[in-house]
Amino acid sequence: MSENKKTGHAVQTTGHAWDGDIQEYNNPIPRWWLWSFYATVVFSIIYWVLYPAWPIGHSYTTGVLNNITYTVNGEEKTTHWNTRARLVRDMQTGEDAVKQRRHMQEVANASFSAILSDPKMIDFSSKIGKVLFTDNCAACHGMGGQGVVGLFPSLVDDDWLWGGRTENIRETIASGRIGFMPAFGKTFSDQQMDDVVEYVLSLSNQAEDQPRVQRGKQLFGGEQGGCYYCHNQEGTGIQSQGAANLTDQIWTIVDVAGQKDIEGKRALVREVVSKGVNRSMPNWKGRLSDEEIKLLTVYVYNLSGGK
Amino acid sequence: MAAGEQYNYDIVRKFSIMALVWGVLGMTAGVYIAAELAFPFMNFDIPELTFGRLRPVHTTLVIFGFGGSALFATSYYIVQRTCQTRLSSASLANFTFWGWQSVIVLGVISYVLGYSQGREYAEFSWPLDLLITVVWVAYLVIYVQTIRHRSQPHIYVANWFFMAFILATAILHVFNNLAVPVGLFSLSSYSAFSGVQDAMTQWWYGHNAVGFFLTAAFLGMMYYFVPKQAGRPVYSYRLSIIHFWALVFLYMWAGAHHLHWTALPDWTSTLAATFSILLLLPSWGGMINGIMTLSGAWDKLRSDPVMMFLITALSFYGMSTFEGPLMALKSVNALSHYTDWTIGHVHSGALGWVAMVSFGSMYHLIPRLYDTEMYSKKLMYVHFWLASIGIVLYITAMWVAGIGQGLMLRGFDEYGNLAYSFIETVIFLKQPYIWRTIGGAFFLAGMLVMVYNVFATIRQAKKETAILDAKIAAKLANA
Repeated sequence: MSENKKTGHAVQTTGHAWDGDIQEYNNPIPRWWLWSFYATVVFSIIYWVLYPAWPIGHSYTTGVLNNITYTVNGEEKTTHWNTRARLVRDMQTGEDAVKQRRHMQEVANASFSAILSDPKMIDFSSKIGKVLFTDNCAACHGMGGQGVVGLFPSLVDDDWLWGGRTENIRETIASGRIGFMPAFGKTFSDQQMDDVVEYVLSLSNQAEDQPRVQRGKQLFGGEQGGCYYCHNQEGTGIQSQGAANLTDQIWTIVDVAGQKDIEGKRALVREVVSKGVNRSMPNWKGRLSDEEIKLLTVYVYNLSGGK
Repeated sequence: MAAGEQYNYDIVRKFSIMALVWGVLGMTAGVYIAAELAFPFMNFDIPELTFGRLRPVHTTLVIFGFGGSALFATSYYIVQRTCQTRLSSASLANFTFWGWQSVIVLGVISYVLGYSQGREYAEFSWPLDLLITVVWVAYLVIYVQTIRHRSQPHIYVANWFFMAFILATAILHVFNNLAVPVGLFSLSSYSAFSGVQDAMTQWWYGHNAVGFFLTAAFLGMMYYFVPKQAGRPVYSYRLSIIHFWALVFLYMWAGAHHLHWTALPDWTSTLAATFSILLLLPSWGGMINGIMTLSGAWDKLRSDPVMMFLITALSFYGMSTFEGPLMALKSVNALSHYTDWTIGHVHSGALGWVAMVSFGSMYHLIPRLYDTEMYSKKLMYVHFWLASIGIVLYITAMWVAGIGQGLMLRGFDEYGNLAYSFIETVIFLKQPYIWRTIGGAFFLAGMLVMVYNVFATIRQAKKETAILDAKIAAKLANA
């Protein structure tokens, strides 16, 4: 038996015993417990009065003092509190939404050169661009835009397959790209293939067999190979075709620069010439707004140091 | 007559041992998938090992394997002892044992092979749902029959909780698993409900599985083992009545708080939030009754590891039933939902309350089932501290992960842009995920210590019995 602190009387058990010794005291319910429980009841009742709460037939109590006003097609509309109206109102008049819309409007009205000469707008694009880029582009191009050799082009170097001017980048993002080079495996004999490969390597000063280079040049620039249609006679590529510049050290399909010996390089270039290239980037128009594409363009443009 | 002959202890022993077996396996699966989240290479591109398949393996093994077997064991023990009668049918009880264990084994195999109903905590395919239903009806029959044949005028409070648990689980299980099989020889099925009604049904089930399986039933366990171990009467009979009925009545309304800010109608959401708030004090009623039962015998906390387990369990129960209503408020839920805060909350209940109260009860139960003492009190302390440290690491890591990610996802910069992309929040999660894995490993280590201790206890009991038998034989020979 325990002492009841308030009354000083000994508290009785209920008089039952189970399993030999399990008993129960007849202590009253703790006051603080009871009052706290009442407090939660009061809280709930207030909540029910203010918000949609109890179903009645096909409708429900809508709550008072909590109306939400928002605009539909220029017309103001007021409704009882509900999560959908709250979202619409937040997107229309919420502090951050208003702020973002103001900056978006500025961007929409500005030309690329105007954006690129305004530090404030560059900062805006770099902040929103980082989120847009990592949410939409990073899955292929990597979080920093470094790409994956052979699969997805790097966006941080100075080399652009489809052009690195802002208008080119915007077009690439909006419409997507299909990168295609035909397979020449059946066009060339083994020896011709060796010659073309050697010539391609010579364009970036990596060839070692001059006679092959000379023969390869004829194939590259002649009608049998016809490589110059897309890569042009100098091998610098044509950006409107997405044809790569072969005269620099940047290789996006195979990692030629990473090979130590000439045989390794030859094997990789031969693979591309034989099998051709077929890859694509999806279009983002419709998935991203025009302003977002514009901002993403500025972001990507700046990734490569703005060249 | 010895208690072992008066009561059916065989069935209690079997379920107790399986609780430990499933506990080890389920917690191992848990630690492994926690590690997968921190180090995704551990999927090894093997479909059977991926998080998606092992996650239901983990939850099924710990909830239904470990928790379920512990509940069968303790409820069969408690109903016999508090009704002072033998379990109504030994063969039906054995059927519940083999039936339940088959459900666990077949369920886990089916998940690993990729068969799942896709309902959280109810992933079993339809044939297994049918088996569960049959086993559960048998459980109900045994329980009701045993109580009907009691030699005690009154039904002890622990049995009210077990009865509520068995009844509610039957209803929840049947309605949430109403489905049309694709074919007689297909494990796939279509739910009887669609859209938001389907989601509502699932979370009515999911929340009340927590309410009746993981709360009410374990309160039943608490109501027997706490006063028994403390050697003191339950604090307040009146409180036990009030909080029992309040809990049973209020729980059923709260499930929709799992679906705030979704297609769910707003009024449903409000009701669920308020009923969750109303649940706070009824939940605490059990904690108060348990902890106050010890008042006047606090010194037991220094000398009795079983009491340490039980009281710590009640403390975590109090903490997580405070956290729960808080998270059920729409404004808090907007931050916490879809983050690891939820996972942390579940584990403060599952590890802190369910597992700890089961450990304490088992440490009381096992030596009595085998008529001996626990092999090592020291190892019980080791288990206690490993488990406690594990829980604290786990919960803290998940608070950091959940609240951190929640704040990142709603952060804005000075231009009104969302400040973080999703992948940045994932990178942030890596550190807490590692700490969570370490916490889980601590908890698992404690479980292994317990298994060794129980194994040694049973071995010691067999040795003692053999010596006793030899002595009796010698005496008889001399006489």
